[in-house]
Amino acid sequence: MTDTVSDSGKKPDAFVLSPEKLRRQRIAKFVGEGFLLAVASFVAIVVLFIFYFVAVDAIPFFQLRGFTEFFTSTGWYPADEPGEFGALAIIYGSGMVTVGSALIAVPLGISAAICLSDVLPFSVRQYAKPVIEMLAAIPSVAYGFFALVIFAPLLQNFGGPILMWAWWLIAGPFVLLAVIVAADLLASGKGDEARERVMRTAFTLLFGIIAVGFLYWVGKTLSAIQILSGTNALNVSIILSFMALPTIVSVSEDSLQAVGRELREGSYALGATRAETIVKTVLPAASSGILAAVILGIMRAIGETMVVWMASGNSSHIPDPWFNYLESIRTLTATIAGDMGEADQVTGSARYHVLFAMGLLLLVFSFVSNFISERIVVRQRKILAGE
Amino acid sequence: MDLGTRKILDRSFTAVGITSIVLMALALLIVVVPIVRGGLGALYFTGTVEHRKIQYEEFGEGDGRRLTREIEETEKARAPVYRFLGEFEAEMESMDPVKKRELASKYGKVKRVLAHMLGPLPGEPEPILLRFQYGRTRWEQVEESLHDLLFVTKWDYSNPEEMAKEYFVPRIDEFRGTALAGLFPYVENNIESMMLPRPTFYWGFITNKSLDAHIFGGIWAEIQGTFFLAVGAMLFAFPLGVIAAIYFTEYAKDNFFTSMLRSANSTLAGVPSIVFGLFGLAFFINTVKVSESKSVLAGSLTLAIMVLPTIIRAAEEAILAVPITYKEASLGLGSTKWRTIMTVILPAALPGIITGGIISLGRAAGETAPIIFTAAVSVGATIGLADVFSSPTPALSWNIYNLASEHEAANEIRHVQYGMVLSLISIVLLLNLSAILLRARISKKLKG
Repeated sequence: MTDTVSDSGKKPDAFVLSPEKLRRQRIAKFVGEGFLLAVASFVAIVVLFIFYFVAVDAIPFFQLRGFTEFFTSTGWYPADEPGEFGALAIIYGSGMVTVGSALIAVPLGISAAICLSDVLPFSVRQYAKPVIEMLAAIPSVAYGFFALVIFAPLLQNFGGPILMWAWWLIAGPFVLLAVIVAADLLASGKGDEARERVMRTAFTLLFGIIAVGFLYWVGKTLSAIQILSGTNALNVSIILSFMALPTIVSVSEDSLQAVGRELREGSYALGATRAETIVKTVLPAASSGILAAVILGIMRAIGETMVVWMASGNSSHIPDPWFNYLESIRTLTATIAGDMGEADQVTGSARYHVLFAMGLLLLVFSFVSNFISERIVVRQRKILAGE
Repeated sequence: MDLGTRKILDRSFTAVGITSIVLMALALLIVVVPIVRGGLGALYFTGTVEHRKIQYEEFGEGDGRRLTREIEETEKARAPVYRFLGEFEAEMESMDPVKKRELASKYGKVKRVLAHMLGPLPGEPEPILLRFQYGRTRWEQVEESLHDLLFVTKWDYSNPEEMAKEYFVPRIDEFRGTALAGLFPYVENNIESMMLPRPTFYWGFITNKSLDAHIFGGIWAEIQGTFFLAVGAMLFAFPLGVIAAIYFTEYAKDNFFTSMLRSANSTLAGVPSIVFGLFGLAFFINTVKVSESKSVLAGSLTLAIMVLPTIIRAAEEAILAVPITYKEASLGLGSTKWRTIMTVILPAALPGIITGGIISLGRAAGETAPIIFTAAVSVGATIGLADVFSSPTPALSWNIYNLASEHEAANEIRHVQYGMVLSLISIVLLLNLSAILLRARISKKLKG
């Protein structure tokens, strides 16, 4: 780029770099780019270091105690002499709150994402997005504080009524909608309009009474429940779902947006309603992105420390029956956070290394799910780009 | 399906979507509103004369002459209380031993409650712990103590099916016919002149250090610790992140190595925060030994690693958002690639990069798990700038946990906890809000 100026006649040398200068520039470029590359590789090095240093401290545990006890026993008495290091109940607790929070956050998050991307006008969306970002920005310890100091006493004192209200608020509208739709489906297509109207009213009334009875019965059963301790798996699941929601909403909204106008307009042009367009066209196209969003949300829930540490009750046992969300549980993250304080004076003991083994387990899990979600996103991008 | 059904389905679909958005907004409100209410209670409350005493004696704040007058006034109002106690003690001497022993323990409880409410009783030795040297500082605490004084809490275990029920018996019944009986109505009627409650705006909650493990005083040490940790993390992570982003956007070739670096970045973003804490402990403290034990430096480095992927991603997006024409114009004028980056692309991308930086700063300030093993202590004095390399620090996030779940008097200092949570949330949300506003301005500017 510097040796083509010779025609102008005026001091061509000014633009020509001497070989010396050229060489220096090339070296500078080489060094500069090398430096940039080194900094960019720093992240990869850090990841390797994290794996290495967590694994190095985790391996002594498995050498000392083997794998069987850690993964199959529920006895967790690390302070005893000799200690018991069965982490099954703890792993189960982690899984339990993760599933619980996913059950709440996934339907809510996906429908919110659909609403944001396809239903609400742009002006509303502009304000909704910052609200979601705020929800994501609230520090986990603040959620933990809320769960422990505000929510847990509420659950303990008014657990039954709270459950009943939540049931009415959440299930009520859905059940009533289902009644209307079912009545309409059964009544339609009979030809005669007057008869259809009568049948529709009759079905709506019939189903409505059954539905209200059902709602009332479940609500009454729920309101009779007495919650012995407010710091339990249910509390943690609800709070964790608040924390996973922003991730799920924003990532799935991105992937819904990525589907593009053409598919939507094609569907509308064929006479589909908005709901049909979304369910039959947009969602299948965005499904892998949404799956990735769910995985990311779940990762946030399983890796979360403060909320579970403060509000899960920290008792290491598998609830009885296994799906009893009203019992206290203990999770991997909370165990690491809570036991390190006592363990780190005795570096080198199984008690210290078992915590790193748990860290390694979390790390491997997050690595695998991250890998999967990344693959999924890449695949979706390829498909949307036209296979 | 006929058209009507399809329409109903469509409408209900919309309704479901909007309900979920409303539920999310509700969730935000349900979390934030009580915290804001409780947090403001740490700053603005009805303070008693004891609060003003502490402020004057420990921090030199307030009007000394007025305080002296107030103390005299309260001493006058409290004198009959102490007289009742003296009379009762004299009366006890002459009782028969069985009754005396029975009353002595009940009387001890009365004295404890009174000392808790009013501060040390005259004639008792001066307590060593600061928390026993003063009475209740907040009016609602005084009311609690008053209730404790007037009533005995009992538990009803009569129904084994249900949880035991709490009920209250007037304490005066235990002392009927003795000299102490007059104490209870007196305290109940004169509590205000004994404590002189007054609406107080306690700005010092932010700027004062804590006294006696947060029983009194403010949270300055925690705010400063959080500031050191977050800013320290950014000092490391911001330059690294921006440089890496320049590499990824301008220099990286589309090959296996680059895609590996990218997936390393997203792996790092997905690592659970507690694992960063473990890594910080195992690497920075136990292996590299940046400090003897926990220190601000080790905590900042750990946090820096945690926020690095966020910064890289934000900076990358900001650089990619710069219109390609800028770059072409600069290259067309004959400037080198590096010069184009430094003088054209980076200045144009700077607001976006700073937005990412601000959000990461907020995240570093709010994160707890990575600093548990690397930097945080529960009680500690404010540290100087020179100490960051060697000494640990209290920090808002950690102390919220610590005060709420491990403090011996967690129930009595709820207001401090709320105040801390509100401070932390305000810091983080203000940072985020400014980032959002900045971003809105950029997008307006880029649109022209």
